[in-house]
Amino acid sequence: MPKSNISLIEKILYSVEKPGRYVGGEHNQIIKDWDSVDVRWCLVFPDIYDIGAANLGLAILYQILNAEEKVLAERSFAPWVDMEIQMRKNNISLFSLESKQSLKDFDILGFTLPYESIYTNVLNILDLAGINVRASERGESDPLILGGGQACFNPEPMADFFDAFAIGEGEEVSVEISNTVRYWKKTAGPRSELLLKLAQIPGVYVPSLYDVTYHPDGTIASFDPNLPNVPPRVTKRIVANLPTHPSRFLVPNVEIVHDRMSVEIMRGCARGCRFCHAGMVNRPVRQRGIEELLPVIEDGLNATGFEEVGLLSLSSSDHTEILDLTQKVHQTFHDRNLSFSLPSLRIESFSIDLMDELKELKPGGGFTLAPEAATERMRAVINKPLDDEDFYQTVTKIFENGWRSLKLYYMIGLPTETMEDVDAILQAGIKVQQIGKKIIGKSVKIHLGIASLISKPHTPFQWLAVQRPEIIQEKLDYLKAGTRKAGIKMSYNIPDSTLLESWLSRGDRRIGAVIQNAWENGAKFDAWGERENLQIWRNAFASQNLDPDFYAYREKSLDEVLPWDHINIGVTKNYLKRDFEWSQLGRTRKDCRNVCYSCGILDTFGNQRPPETVSYWGCP
Amino acid sequence: MSETPIRIRVRYSKTGNLRFIGHLDTQRIFERALRRSRLPLRYTQGFNKHIRLNLASALPLGFTSSAEMLDFWLDEPIDALEIREKLQNALPSEIRIIDLSQVENSLPSLQGSLLSSEYQIALPPDITKEEFKHKFEQILAQPEIPVTRRDKTIDYKPLILNYNFSGQDSVIDLELSSTPGGNARPDDILQLLGIDPADCRIERIALHFSELED
Repeated sequence: MPKSNISLIEKILYSVEKPGRYVGGEHNQIIKDWDSVDVRWCLVFPDIYDIGAANLGLAILYQILNAEEKVLAERSFAPWVDMEIQMRKNNISLFSLESKQSLKDFDILGFTLPYESIYTNVLNILDLAGINVRASERGESDPLILGGGQACFNPEPMADFFDAFAIGEGEEVSVEISNTVRYWKKTAGPRSELLLKLAQIPGVYVPSLYDVTYHPDGTIASFDPNLPNVPPRVTKRIVANLPTHPSRFLVPNVEIVHDRMSVEIMRGCARGCRFCHAGMVNRPVRQRGIEELLPVIEDGLNATGFEEVGLLSLSSSDHTEILDLTQKVHQTFHDRNLSFSLPSLRIESFSIDLMDELKELKPGGGFTLAPEAATERMRAVINKPLDDEDFYQTVTKIFENGWRSLKLYYMIGLPTETMEDVDAILQAGIKVQQIGKKIIGKSVKIHLGIASLISKPHTPFQWLAVQRPEIIQEKLDYLKAGTRKAGIKMSYNIPDSTLLESWLSRGDRRIGAVIQNAWENGAKFDAWGERENLQIWRNAFASQNLDPDFYAYREKSLDEVLPWDHINIGVTKNYLKRDFEWSQLGRTRKDCRNVCYSCGILDTFGNQRPPETVSYWGCP
Repeated sequence: MSETPIRIRVRYSKTGNLRFIGHLDTQRIFERALRRSRLPLRYTQGFNKHIRLNLASALPLGFTSSAEMLDFWLDEPIDALEIREKLQNALPSEIRIIDLSQVENSLPSLQGSLLSSEYQIALPPDITKEEFKHKFEQILAQPEIPVTRRDKTIDYKPLILNYNFSGQDSVIDLELSSTPGGNARPDDILQLLGIDPADCRIERIALHFSELED
């Protein structure tokens, strides 16, 4: 076991804020003997502990990898700025929470990339661990730098920095990667041999094995493997059967965001909202049954002592046993003084029954709905159909059942949007407030959450330009003035951070050099919304002779090669095209569990589909 | 559920990584450990129910302790040994129960009756006990010992209750006032003496109360 300087680490902990972020020691932490295993992973969440510790994906991989006899998996997070200063000053390499080993001493660094604003943190973490940020400049003894997570469905912007990406669901492929590394270590072969072996694993994308050429206008001319036996396209991985849910969760010692136990009740979504990245890339719909979920919740509570449980899915109301589940949860846990959260409820009275069931466990809290758009026309464009009448009926019933606080999520910057559509958001807020006042009295709280559309890869909106910040700002200003006057709370995304996210999520391979330049000039923690950061990014684009507007404001042609076309999410490009055309016609699609629109998922993964008695798939 | 709650008093140690966990976080660690223990916990009444739990005193970040105390309440009487075992099994390994017993509900709160804390400080190798003693006595000879923390200046002179240099080589003992009106911290004193507290090992070894027994 390599030596790490624990006493020096402990000394600097006295001079940083919240040192508990860096020490581990949580209940249910797994520490394995360093020398008793063949493959050592460090799972890295490139944001601070407070944000990453509750990540369910991290918890799942931590348990799966540590369950392997000859494998250990530890964790590391991005140090906050004060800790980084101390580490650089004292020459301390970034270390894992469990054994305090330098990240450089592990075999595999598995980075979770759930969103794009942490890309610069990845570079900073590699640098803090003494590892060259560029894959092409790393040596034979460096750890394998592996990426995974929701942002990796467009891996190109980070292609320069990662040796490999695991595309899609990681439960099975992570073990396959682990085994491949284990056998490769025994053969003592060169790193290039490992990369080639990894590229043979379905779902693993090794960016250095592909070459890109560009047209003079900046669009992609070709994207091809540069070696034989490397697949031209990489199909994402899915787990046909959702594996046993973890329950021995780590219990953080310091307060974190989402400080609760998360239980995934369903994966995927059948609704097909056209702006929704998660809804497209996580198909097919699979769910866990009550008989599996109740013991997971019970075991998890007994093992953690959490006081709150989040029942996670992209659309809770669509779980086929959801009412039964909430009732059983109520019956089973009513004496434990817990609270349960149920996100992403559909706008229908059924959702109120669900929330009422959970509210009795612990009163207080509010109700959240996401109509996303305020006119029926606009909702048809984005495929989130809802009659105004149904919306106001649901809202009325929410207040009648005693809820006093209602949060409504809307989007702006949608295709074909006019100021009338924006004004309709304000008017909806005001009308909801009036309904609430009439039923409850003065104390009703209305909160509008406004997000602006970033047309994401692999969605039917992927060809669309992003709206310019000055136009978004104008719409926000209008809503801000109106909500202030009406006494409605409003929160929103800053247009600058929306712009940054659009560059990073929709970029091609050339963006890598931009990311590196921005990081070298001080960009990190880009999600923390400091305004001066955007200038760093503009300079970084200039340094590479790239036009940021090309990545944000250009409407793409339907037949151009997109930077992420070589990543196969199962849903076909033809389907997305057709759906894009339907959006322009205002044509909607129904819940696809009842009617199959042939998105491509069954063509790609149908052969893996288990019998219905074994596992629920939403596909008809 | 019995009408009168059962009050349980715990003395415990906090060491290792957990010395970097602050007061409110420690409280939450206990709340969750108590939930894991599945003991019949007493909750506060009202809208937002919380476990009834009182920690005697905030232990500053970075200090270990062999003398922390807390009270919590149960709905039903249970044998103290059984409570101790269940709670210890549910706690992180760096918190060890030293004592656990049932006490009278009529006793005053731990926070309300705390008078002082005793600390043991292991000095860094580059400072001898003689040097420390010399500097310390110089400061004690001043008419006032002003210490500023969070923009508030207080006089530490009346808060330094006792000191003892007779222990092991580099170890000194300090007893400091820990009342709401005058709460002194040993790291502040080290800083006054020009010693970086991060170079020392500080352990709280005793809490003194005005009335602990009936």
